[in-house]
Amino acid sequence: MFIFLGRTIKFAFQGFTRNIWLSVVTVVILVLTLFSVTIAAGINIIAEKAIESVEQKVDVSVYFEPDISEQEVLNVRYRLEELSQVESVGYISKEEALQRFIDRHQDDPGIIESIEEVGNPLGATLVVKAKSIDDYPTVLSMLESDSYADLIQGKSYDDNQQVINRLSDISSKVQRIGLIVSAVFIIIAILIIFNTIRINIYTHREEIGIMKLVGASNWFVRAPFLVESMLYAVLAVVIAIAVLYPLLGVIAPQVDSFFAGYNFDLVSYIHGYLIEIIAWQLGFAIVLSFISSSFAIGRYLRV
Amino acid sequence: MALIEIRDLKKVYNAGEPNEFYALNGISLSVDQGDFLAIMGVSGSGKSTLMNILGCLDHPTSGTYMLDGEDVGKKSSGELAKIRRNKIGFVFQNFNLLPRMQAVKNVELPLIYEGIPPKERRQRAKHMLEVVGLGNRVQHKPSMLSGGEQQRVAIARALVNEPMVILADEPTGNLDSKSGHQVMKILLDLHLQGRTIIVVTHDPTIGEYAGRVIKIIDGTIKD
Repeated sequence: MFIFLGRTIKFAFQGFTRNIWLSVVTVVILVLTLFSVTIAAGINIIAEKAIESVEQKVDVSVYFEPDISEQEVLNVRYRLEELSQVESVGYISKEEALQRFIDRHQDDPGIIESIEEVGNPLGATLVVKAKSIDDYPTVLSMLESDSYADLIQGKSYDDNQQVINRLSDISSKVQRIGLIVSAVFIIIAILIIFNTIRINIYTHREEIGIMKLVGASNWFVRAPFLVESMLYAVLAVVIAIAVLYPLLGVIAPQVDSFFAGYNFDLVSYIHGYLIEIIAWQLGFAIVLSFISSSFAIGRYLRV
Repeated sequence: MALIEIRDLKKVYNAGEPNEFYALNGISLSVDQGDFLAIMGVSGSGKSTLMNILGCLDHPTSGTYMLDGEDVGKKSSGELAKIRRNKIGFVFQNFNLLPRMQAVKNVELPLIYEGIPPKERRQRAKHMLEVVGLGNRVQHKPSMLSGGEQQRVAIARALVNEPMVILADEPTGNLDSKSGHQVMKILLDLHLQGRTIIVVTHDPTIGEYAGRVIKIIDGTIKD
């Protein structure tokens, strides 16, 4: 078994170095494929995170009439909390609402004086957060029912829908372009690997014939070509990571400034998933190489 | 029981097409352990096709081929590779040596595929090179050897796995008469030691070394 493995790896390296320029071109194409797929996936993740962050800021503020008692407000709060679509309901009392109002208008003595004259004109407020952006219509329709008409003074629903729509639009466009570019590179990579293995089989045809004559098993003949294609995949991943990782340091400040005020940090996100990203790239490159080299071996190496 | 038993063997190319061609047309043959058989025929007679089938390098279209009691026609390609590795040794006109490898490494090849440890296979390969008179050429690459020496390396490689039968296809075809005689002398010695040798040739002088000669014409045996 060790002899088989040792010779397979040795032959694979020989195949790699014998047609070195062809091997280099194959690795470069695989690296470009990994770039395009990784960048497309990265943009997709950033867009998703952006939408998620914006969505997290969406809520409905329900302003109650000033004369509504705390108990009545809390009753509405309990009913809202019973809805499966509701994530949380925050309560701001009349007094707290007034304090916040005063704090906001510290520099406007006219408003402060008016407040002192009329007393607290504000009612309590409930801040409703739904589980998903799509759940807000359900929450709003409940609040619009007749039973609450006399209690509620108004609602503010800043749904950020425009921002979300724009982000989704940009994201889906970029994703589509990324998918097309990636598909083109994947097809090129499959063809290049196929051709490289085919040329290597041709280069080794005499050796393969002799191996068959003296009784080499199918796997003994085929395995080096498969391992050689795996070698392309591993090298391509190493190069792709070596180039993409420093690039991350360059683009991270731009991405992070885009997310200023939101809970997203690109560098720590990538660090958190680094092993998965490398494993994913390796898996992708190996599967790609395996498929195309298997086709070439099946087509040109019938033993 | 015969070592090789073939019955009504046919090999048809382009079957059912207008250019259908019978390379072998109903060959029956029996070879016993220890025989030295020469299969003679002109170019295109079907002798190399027969050699390829006997060597498990090709499948017959119909008929049966029993080698050492086993029906070779029913074997998978992996099993055929094992038969080639363990039961058959090949010697070809163009030697079929790997040019990048030294003589000893060429001889080691079948042992590598058999999974023999490096030390043992090196010893066995060297011993086999000594048997064919090339004990002083173990480190030489094929390009540093004469045609006769290269063919002797090929014979050493054919013998190293202790095969049941040695198949030689025009073994002297690329050699001068002196080297050719040396090669045939080695094959004759091996026969005298009890080995089964089958030589395919168009050269009548080669037939003189064999104990038994069959002639093949247009894919059939003519006695």
